[in-house]
Amino acid sequence: MRVQPAAYILALTGVALVALATSLLHSHLGLASAALLFLLPVLLASVHGGMGPALVAAVAGALSFNFFLLPPRFTFRIDSFDHVISVVVLLVVALVTSRLATALKSREAEARAQAAASAEQAELAGLLGGDTPDALDRALALIGERYGSARLIAGTEPDASDAAFSSLDRSAAAWATNGAEATGHGSTALPASDWSFLPLAPGRPDGTALLAVARPAGGGTRTPTEAQQLQALARLIGQARDRRALDTERRARERLEDQDALRGTLLAALAHDFRTPLTVLGGEISALGGDPDMRRRALAEVQRLGAMMDDLVGAARIESGALRPAIEAVDLVDCIDSAAERLAPQLAAREVARDLPADLPLIAADPILLTHILTNLLANAGRHARAAIRISAMAADGFVEFHVDDDGPGVPPTLRSRLFERFARGEGGDRSGGSGLGLAIVKGFADAMGIAVAAGDAPGGGARFTLRLPQRQTARV
Amino acid sequence: MTRVLVVDDEPAIRRLVARVLERGGFTAVAVDHARGALAEVERAPPDAAIVDLGLPDMDGIELVAALRQRIAAPLLVLTARDATADKIAALDLGADDYVVKPFDGDELLARLRAALRRAGRAIGADGLQRHGAISIDAAHHELRRGDMPVALTPREFAVMEVLVAAGGRLVTHHDLLTRVWGPAHAGDTDYIRVVVRALRLKLEADPSAPTLIRNEPGIGYRLGEA
Repeated sequence: MRVQPAAYILALTGVALVALATSLLHSHLGLASAALLFLLPVLLASVHGGMGPALVAAVAGALSFNFFLLPPRFTFRIDSFDHVISVVVLLVVALVTSRLATALKSREAEARAQAAASAEQAELAGLLGGDTPDALDRALALIGERYGSARLIAGTEPDASDAAFSSLDRSAAAWATNGAEATGHGSTALPASDWSFLPLAPGRPDGTALLAVARPAGGGTRTPTEAQQLQALARLIGQARDRRALDTERRARERLEDQDALRGTLLAALAHDFRTPLTVLGGEISALGGDPDMRRRALAEVQRLGAMMDDLVGAARIESGALRPAIEAVDLVDCIDSAAERLAPQLAAREVARDLPADLPLIAADPILLTHILTNLLANAGRHARAAIRISAMAADGFVEFHVDDDGPGVPPTLRSRLFERFARGEGGDRSGGSGLGLAIVKGFADAMGIAVAAGDAPGGGARFTLRLPQRQTARV
Repeated sequence: MTRVLVVDDEPAIRRLVARVLERGGFTAVAVDHARGALAEVERAPPDAAIVDLGLPDMDGIELVAALRQRIAAPLLVLTARDATADKIAALDLGADDYVVKPFDGDELLARLRAALRRAGRAIGADGLQRHGAISIDAAHHELRRGDMPVALTPREFAVMEVLVAAGGRLVTHHDLLTRVWGPAHAGDTDYIRVVVRALRLKLEADPSAPTLIRNEPGIGYRLGEA
């Protein structure tokens, strides 16, 4: 606390006035009342000047009481033991009063400082909470006005070419960034620096930005209270910045979701437009008279067109990233069954054998995507098989290995690497061909579900397609 | 004469379905929007209805719910293969079955006849629910194949009870789980898979090629034509 001569003079003047008044009126006043009056300047001094002036007032009051009022008056001699007690009690009461009053005063001052600090934080938060783009600049201006020129340093440390910072300042900034603690002027780390460096997110050393505040103009120093307040303000800026980053991220995500939804709607509309004429075609053909065999063949072609449409929509979904597999527990038997049923017209002339153990574990997959995969693999086998298709599966160490074998010519080794690309076809033109998208869909859907796909040779010649399906870890029911 | 209400905003599909129905010996009443459908139901309740769910807006689904509130007759929906959510919503709101576009006329007629047959079914005089060779005695918690009782766990029995009561109608996973395990487990398809696996071992001739308990992947279960 600074020395305030005025407060001491005031204290002594108060004591002198009380001494004068009590001396003049001593015949009317009792000694006890006079002694109490000497407490007044102590109280006044402690409230206005604090501890020092109050102590001076207490001692001077006790001495004056003794000198001016206690008989024998105008000497410091004290005759009776009674009066010794009076002086001592006066002194003690004055001292205690001065301590109490001073404590009260400093507490009040603290409260006032805290209120001011809180008000300042609220003011800054208000500025930062605004949605205007210059909110940050205005916040920095506010700090600059009260504490000294303020700026934000993003990245690791200020540029060496920045003339505002000396090499000492740059070290302090680097330290603040790496340690995520306050450095520079007003702190314990490199306090000789001309700037205070305050991390926006203290304790979170992730290349965090800093608030740099210059030493107060005129070469003053920063009190610990002010340094603490600056740290709080830096944290506020950090929080506002984090909130803003979250907002931006959320808005970006919402935009992406909107785009996904739009793509989904477009695909659905496209598919709808194709399916309507296909449906009419299928309906009209089934109503035609004539050769039932021809009618069945025509219907199978319509079904194949429908399947191609499904493939096209599927390919577009993979391409656009609109594929969101809904993984659940799946019984492979169900998907095989559904795919086989869908392909019944195409597979009517083939012998389809199933070798699936009764204790085959459940797998984790999107049942609809998996059924589409199986449909395409079976359709592919149906196109290339001479007479027979064999479906088999077995559990193997956290996975279920699933095979579709055919007895056709097999996949030439040269084609295997690009078999799962779009529009890859067997050599010599594939007259019985599918959309050319079928295996690409298999790969795209499988990738989305974390299922490995491979093409190889079936044990008896012909092609083998293998899926490696993750087992579902199912709790007991 | 069995009257079938057809609701579709595509004139070509509307004409086609009407002609297929007439070929199958039904009388078709075709309308092109939901309001017309509801007005027609007020005027003269049909014996069955076929509703196109169309694009993924909710109109078709809402119409299914509204029709189900007004009539008990079989309700079929026409939908796209990839519109899984629509299919499930329509089934849960009371549709009896769905037919995927493109379909052919014979398939549509077969589905419609099956639905009408189920609607005409009644519990036998002996109080047993039947589906082909399977009969369910709810009072004694017993399932028989022919005359032979089959030992089932309570969960297995409960699942069969729901499926047999539906009589070949598709029951969504969600619906089945809610009814047997309770609403808290409506999403736990693991449960239903395990139980159906066990049921197939007990009831199917070849559990790897089931004909009795059929699954529509991602949608639900139905009992096969017995």
